Amino acid sequence: MDQKDKLQRLEIFEAEALGFSSQLFRVALRVCRDREKAEDLIQETYLQAWRSFHRFEIGTNLRAWLYKILFNVHYGEIRRDRLELMPIEETIAETIAYDPPTPQNLTEEEVLAALERIPRDFQVPVVLADVEELSYREIADALRIPLGTVMSRLHRGRKLLRMELANYARGAGYQIAN
Amino acid sequence: MECQNFKELLDSYLCGELAVETNHTMLCHAERCCSCRSEMGARRSLRSSLRRACSKEELSDRAMENLRARLRSDSGLDDGPAAPGDETGRRNWFAGLFKMRFLTPAAIVAALALTVGAAWSLSLLWGGDDDHQRLSSQQIKALELSASLVAESAGDHRTCAPYFVNATEPAEMPESAGEYDRACVRLDKIAAQGAKELQLRAAHICDFSDRKFAHLVYTRGASLVSLLVTDRDCRALKSGEVPPYSGLALGTQRFTHDHLALGAYQTSKRIVLVVSDLPVDENAALAERLASPVVEYLRNVEAETGPKERIGTGRLREGIDRVAVNDAGEIMKIDGIDGIFRDFARRIDH
Repeated sequence: MDQKDKLQRLEIFEAEALGFSSQLFRVALRVCRDREKAEDLIQETYLQAWRSFHRFEIGTNLRAWLYKILFNVHYGEIRRDRLELMPIEETIAETIAYDPPTPQNLTEEEVLAALERIPRDFQVPVVLADVEELSYREIADALRIPLGTVMSRLHRGRKLLRMELANYARGAGYQIAN
Repeated sequence: MECQNFKELLDSYLCGELAVETNHTMLCHAERCCSCRSEMGARRSLRSSLRRACSKEELSDRAMENLRARLRSDSGLDDGPAAPGDETGRRNWFAGLFKMRFLTPAAIVAALALTVGAAWSLSLLWGGDDDHQRLSSQQIKALELSASLVAESAGDHRTCAPYFVNATEPAEMPESAGEYDRACVRLDKIAAQGAKELQLRAAHICDFSDRKFAHLVYTRGASLVSLLVTDRDCRALKSGEVPPYSGLALGTQRFTHDHLALGAYQTSKRIVLVVSDLPVDENAALAERLASPVVEYLRNVEAETGPKERIGTGRLREGIDRVAVNDAGEIMKIDGIDGIFRDFARRIDH
């Protein structure tokens, strides 16, 4: 392929894919918890995506494809084959019986702080579903876990988030929705 | 449905992951149970807060420039000259963003991706003298509509429109529609200009999942088509915030949801949607014809109390070199482009 064709193809890639960079970055921050590592992850993700772009079918779900590459790169880097819960986290999740009402009138900082207190394995699906608005199936595809596992993680993750917020709200004297 | 069951399903409902029938059951329960209705409001608010909190993080300009350099280096393009007609690398990327959609008509990137219609191929700078602004990627992102709006619009079409498919009585928007939105009282008359091949079956205000719509139900042969007008509130935008500019420069925003095709337009205060079970491209073409007079009318209504305009300089791909941009960031073409926007700019002395 000559330079002109290659440049044109790169421009198309940039126009199509770079628009999702902030969304991918937000998720990378949740995954890496370190800004520099998250930026590296994004760079690697886009490089892999560019190198595989000839295999991508235009018109299909580019955003979901990029997320899949992101997690592929990330878990490849830390040598994990798939997303696993540590046993202790599973135990914590199982003992949740009480689901408190969702507090209202919390600030964004408080909400973000509560999110960051829940285990990462629950945080990531919650962010993918409730912030980035991926479908459950897209999340399953990106994380390479079964749909049922996604739903279970989301259920627990959201419950944990509400518990963190309720504990905070109680401590801070907020009124909780009746 | 019991309250426990409602709360178990509530997050999936807010994500648009439940079947339509279950949505209906959820709504019926929420109507009867104020505790569950309150919990629905609190969780919806939490989702918006979470989205806003997380949306503040952006890839830095430095990281983006590094990324672009790395991509070029990986392609062996870092030493090459700029292609003819390029200005700066960044501007070229921006121009490419607007070029893409109508060169690949079948390409729909994702259910919530923005698309730019053929009539809106713009590489735009505005402002006077040296003070150039552009529609940044951040602004484009701020215009993304939320999944819940798409789901609610599709849901309203699916649950409400079929009731009227065989209606034979003449349909007219009632005066009481003014209690919801004064601008929608004549919606059926305004839309008639673009609805030549359609038959109006119903005109009313209806609710779906806490969202009100002005709803026109049409049939075209065997197909049902809805034209919906709703508030451009923070829940309608993916970021949870309403940007101070409308999304008109983007042309038709296209979505699919549960086998329905949607085309959407944003004015400063409202969102106009056309929903049908037609193929996506066909729905988009129909949306442009049907929604255009409505969008123009609503813009005029909003502009009556709206901000002043100023003239800037701009460069359009079609070669026109003057555009008018009002303080709301809405782009109006001047001199000679046929389309839904007319020229009515006045010069403001800065």
